[in-house]
Amino acid sequence: MAAAAASAPQQLSDEELFSQLRRYGLSPGPVTESTRPVYLKKLKKLREEEQQQHRSGGRGNKTRNSNNNNTAAATVAAAGSAAAAAAGMGVRPVSGDLSYLRTPGGLCRISASGPESLLGGPGGSSAAPAAGSKVLLGFSSDESDVEASPQDQAGGGGRKDRASLQYRGLKAPPASLAASEVTNSNSAERRKPHSWWGARRPAGPELQTAAGKDGAVEDEEGEGEDGEERDPEAEEPLWASRTVNGSRLVPYSCRENYSDSEEEDDDDVASTRQVLKDDSLSRHRPRRTHSKPLSPLTVKSAGGRLETSAQGGGGLAMNDRAAAAGSLDGSRNLEEAAAAEQGGGCDQVDSSPVPRYRVNAKKLTPLLPPPLTDLDSTLDSSTGSLLKTNNHIGGGAFNVDSPRIYSNSLPPSAAVAASGSLRINHANHTGSNHTYLKNTYNKPKLSEPEEELLQQFKREEVSPTGSFSAHYLSMFLLTAACLFFLILGLTYLGMRGTGVSEDGELSIENPFDETFGKIQESEKNLMMNTLYKLHDRLAQLAGDHECGSSSQRTLSVQEAAAYLKDLGPEYEGIFNTSLQWILENGKDVGIRCVGFGPEEELTNITDVQFLQSTRPLMSFWCRFRRAFVTVTHRLLLLCLGVVMVCVVLRYMKYRWTKEEEETRQMYDMVVKIIDVLRSHNEACQENKDLQPYMPIPHVRDSLIQPHDRKKMKKVWNRAVDFLAANESRVRTETRRIGGADFLVWRWIQPSASCDKILVIPSKVWQGQAFHLDRRNSPPNSLTPCLKIRNMFDPVMEIGDQWHLAIQEAILEKCSDNDGIVHIAVDKNSREGCVYVKCLSPEYAGKAFKALHGSWFDGKLVTVKYLRLDRYHHRFPQALTSNTPLKPSNKHMNSMSHLRLRTGLTNSQGSS
Amino acid sequence: MTTSQKHRDFVAEPMGEKPVGNLAGIDEVRGKKLEERGFDKAYVVLGQFLVLKKDKDLFREWLKDTCGTNAKQSRDYFGCLQEWCDTFL
Repeated sequence: MAAAAASAPQQLSDEELFSQLRRYGLSPGPVTESTRPVYLKKLKKLREEEQQQHRSGGRGNKTRNSNNNNTAAATVAAAGSAAAAAAGMGVRPVSGDLSYLRTPGGLCRISASGPESLLGGPGGSSAAPAAGSKVLLGFSSDESDVEASPQDQAGGGGRKDRASLQYRGLKAPPASLAASEVTNSNSAERRKPHSWWGARRPAGPELQTAAGKDGAVEDEEGEGEDGEERDPEAEEPLWASRTVNGSRLVPYSCRENYSDSEEEDDDDVASTRQVLKDDSLSRHRPRRTHSKPLSPLTVKSAGGRLETSAQGGGGLAMNDRAAAAGSLDGSRNLEEAAAAEQGGGCDQVDSSPVPRYRVNAKKLTPLLPPPLTDLDSTLDSSTGSLLKTNNHIGGGAFNVDSPRIYSNSLPPSAAVAASGSLRINHANHTGSNHTYLKNTYNKPKLSEPEEELLQQFKREEVSPTGSFSAHYLSMFLLTAACLFFLILGLTYLGMRGTGVSEDGELSIENPFDETFGKIQESEKNLMMNTLYKLHDRLAQLAGDHECGSSSQRTLSVQEAAAYLKDLGPEYEGIFNTSLQWILENGKDVGIRCVGFGPEEELTNITDVQFLQSTRPLMSFWCRFRRAFVTVTHRLLLLCLGVVMVCVVLRYMKYRWTKEEEETRQMYDMVVKIIDVLRSHNEACQENKDLQPYMPIPHVRDSLIQPHDRKKMKKVWNRAVDFLAANESRVRTETRRIGGADFLVWRWIQPSASCDKILVIPSKVWQGQAFHLDRRNSPPNSLTPCLKIRNMFDPVMEIGDQWHLAIQEAILEKCSDNDGIVHIAVDKNSREGCVYVKCLSPEYAGKAFKALHGSWFDGKLVTVKYLRLDRYHHRFPQALTSNTPLKPSNKHMNSMSHLRLRTGLTNSQGSS
Repeated sequence: MTTSQKHRDFVAEPMGEKPVGNLAGIDEVRGKKLEERGFDKAYVVLGQFLVLKKDKDLFREWLKDTCGTNAKQSRDYFGCLQEWCDTFL
């Protein structure tokens, strides 16, 4: 066999060539004179790989072999030859390998569907769903393109389908492998793949070490639906070994992915991008299971990258998203693939992300780290160098190879590769990391699909840990501030009480020093005590009175004397002296002497009848209550004041807008009047029978509808006054018409040429720019939703209601189409976008024909189809709207130009 | 723009009788070469593409052999045809 295989290619007949290729698992097309050289080259490459594999004999070979073999075995009956071929398979993911691997995938898938195909096979089958969206291509793209994501996703979806289909083919082998991976131990996992491998191929023992990786590879490539268990421990080595490559790659690739908003790209870039999108999409789509094989690998690499970068220090938000997108799937599939992938984890981690980002790296070559700098634009070298890297790492990047190959050759495979590595990474992740990842992934997962759609609603990604601490910090600060103010208030209240008493003490102290010089020392003390006692008693009484518990505020002199007597006999004598002192002392000592009347002048102690405390002593609670009440009252007053101010302002604003509105109306009226007068004048020029003036009431009645006349009376009067005062071309006269006197207007401007300047009306349809044919419009209407671009310039629009005019214009242009149910003018869009939803795609097609390529207000309008679900996402209110919209009036103002031009009274924009 | 206008124009509609030069990635020189080999219309190249089972590497290999395209050109060409197939096949 080998000898025969080694025979010179030139001597091979077509049939022999064909069978040789079949032996390698390839599914070649007809070998004709044009395809022959290509197939010969292919065969040569395959043979080279075979020899390479023999030479290197690495585990990776086995993996690759097993991969290829599995895929081939699954589909091609030559299992035995596949085993041999697998042995001969080189580890290098050469391009030949790529196609080889691809073919098995295609074979696997196609075995069910029939025709074998390589890359195109899966693509062909998925062409149908993707076709619709693909047709969206070819039209101008712009910012916040609603269908950019649909396209990408459609493309991605298409590719995902392809990939998924391809991987479905691989399902059988991986399934068993996946099942085997449920065990938690490394060895067990490795054993299982071994057994599986053993069952598959006779060359079992060698696969021992590779088994884990093989299994992982299989897992990655295979269906991820089974086996939800993953052994995190097993993947620790994987985790640890990833470092340099990942972190550097992720930012670039992620950036590349997210900044690239183009439609169908380079396969590589697109594949990566789609991988990311696919990952996110896979979350949302029903054909999620299909994408699972895809996503795990992608996710893996993304996740691997993410984790690396996270380790490196947070990573970019995009990395998070990319990783999240990847890891979302990856985490799911992690269980499936993790167990088996332990062995090759480290390497795989390194390599799987590498290939994935290599794809992107092609465009970012200068940025790539040295290990990847040997990135070649060709798949061959990239895969080959990748392999070298893998080998360097020392693992045998079996998984890497296969995912790598896939990534290079197929968008899905890239995803698979990435997800595979990601899976490994993820599996390695410890529990906390896992949750962390999940957090980050969950968040980006949501934002991923929304990202393109709602770019204007960008959200900031905050790392979870950062947000936690920030949240707690803010709460803590808030509570601290509240506490602080509370304590301050209480202290203040407490202070007030003590301050009063202290003042009282002080004031009492000082006078003693001054005015009591003449009194003896003993008497002084006695008086002091007396006064203190009196003061306290009176303060208490006053406090009770203030707090409402007693009704008496003053203490009569007799009662005071009696109180003092109760306290002690010595106080009695000194009472009068104290009173005298109080009277003499002008300062406020806390005790006030009151006579019978409030304003009575007290000259003598005999006049004093009542004693009153000027500083009531209130309990803390009473004080607090009073303070609280006071504060509340003051606050209320303040609020009331603010509310009043607000009300006044609102009212003023309302009045002002109303004024504006009226003025605008007045000016509109003036313009209309002038037009009428001018046209009448022109008619008079031609027809000499007409009077050159028009009665004012007649003008009014012709301009204003009867039901509006009352409403517009004020406006009309203002317009008339304006004309009289400011319009020099119109003269107001009095004429006798039919026996009655009328105020008339006469247009007195001679028909000068200046008036022939055409006033370019705004917001009118101005014709069609090009004929709509198959070349510049989709052959059939795809969705019921349209995005109409270039209807306005948001910078130039003034006022608040201009969007209504735009809506009117659209409705009028499509007045023959009664299927429009929702219109939304995006007032902020730079491109003047209007979103329209119709009842069905047919109506949308009609509207498309009417609008696409027309001139509106001097701008060329273009129309695109949008995806319905995205439209609903953006405009939820459109979900329920199903009543056709009509123009609000019959004037068809926006169609005036067209009417004049064509002389028809209804719109005709359709080609 | 990573897809050229040529690409988009080609993919926007069935290729009909378009000449080979209309395909993205094929310039005049290459187009001439293809025509010399007998692939004068785009659909003939499409035929070759389909015969090679839409395999990317094989097709690009074939392109290189036939008219000496470089990597980028062949990539463009392949992408163009693939997309067209996805859309219209």
